Amino acid sequence: MSHSTRCAACKSLRRRCPKDCALAPYFPPTNPQRFACVHKIFGASNTTKMLEQLPLHLRAVAADCMSFEASSRVVDPVYGSVGIISQLQEQIIEAQSELVKTKSEIAFHKAQQQLQQQQLQQQQMQQLQMIHAIAQEDEDWPSWFSSSQQDSFPNVKLFEDYNYSNTFCGFEF
Amino acid sequence: MGGSSPCASCKLLRRRCAKDCIFAPYFPSDDPHKFAIVHKVFGASNVSKMLQELPVHQRADAVSSLVYEANARVRDPVYGCVGAISFLQNQVSQLEMQLAVAQAEILCFQMQEPNLPTHQIDQVDKSFLLSNNNFDDNNIPQYLSFASSSNVIQDPLKKESLWT
Repeated sequence: MSHSTRCAACKSLRRRCPKDCALAPYFPPTNPQRFACVHKIFGASNTTKMLEQLPLHLRAVAADCMSFEASSRVVDPVYGSVGIISQLQEQIIEAQSELVKTKSEIAFHKAQQQLQQQQLQQQQMQQLQMIHAIAQEDEDWPSWFSSSQQDSFPNVKLFEDYNYSNTFCGFEF
Repeated sequence: MGGSSPCASCKLLRRRCAKDCIFAPYFPSDDPHKFAIVHKVFGASNVSKMLQELPVHQRADAVSSLVYEANARVRDPVYGCVGAISFLQNQVSQLEMQLAVAQAEILCFQMQEPNLPTHQIDQVDKSFLLSNNNFDDNNIPQYLSFASSSNVIQDPLKKESLWT
């Protein structure tokens, strides 16, 4: 930080900004609002103490987090960032409930699909059996012919009878 | 507080506890740790100013949230409450992804069987949009996506844990 430009903290506190100012790296003069929030909620002294307790490489992140918490508290003086936590927890509960509902719908659809497939397979099996039955009935034609069911198909019987009888001995009636 | 014992704040600050002490209703003398931690993080003067700016019926909740934040910051001096927020945001993102995948599966079923009722999809989409809109309304900054410690949230699913 340059000697001539005070950081936002020192400007706000109306003091000289030393070369080794603890707050200068994290509260640049270009963003006075950031320090104003932190100062209002945590206080300059507490902020300095908390940052100085941390190793250097963690101070920037800590300053960002404190700045976020302070601005949340300014926006919501009752709940601050705890209000955000509460909202997120509610969202999680809602999302989990929605997920459970959606997954049960998927399970229902899968079960329906399975049932439909089974029914389709059964239908196909029945159709195949019918075709087989019909095919078998065709092979048993002569025995069917001499059975008591002959009268049910008189036209066919007469035709066969005629051909057979007419040509058996080479003579025609 | 008259002849009775001073509140935890006045005890710690070593001053006379006035009848209209702003801290007394919220920092009883039997729980000195509560005020100590709030004083350490926020400072008694700041807490007093914050409470004075609030209507009386909101001060109890404000104190509870301040205690929670102060505890969070002591437990995690780098991230504080923001660690918990980041952790919960990740959870919400994961759940949203799972929900999106499940919704896509439902859509596949609907495409295969167009006679299925569609009201389920409308509800699911609504909750999906609602959660996205809530994110935008909170104005949670991008840096909350950094890795966070989860020291603060013991059981994110229990709302009661906020106040314990």
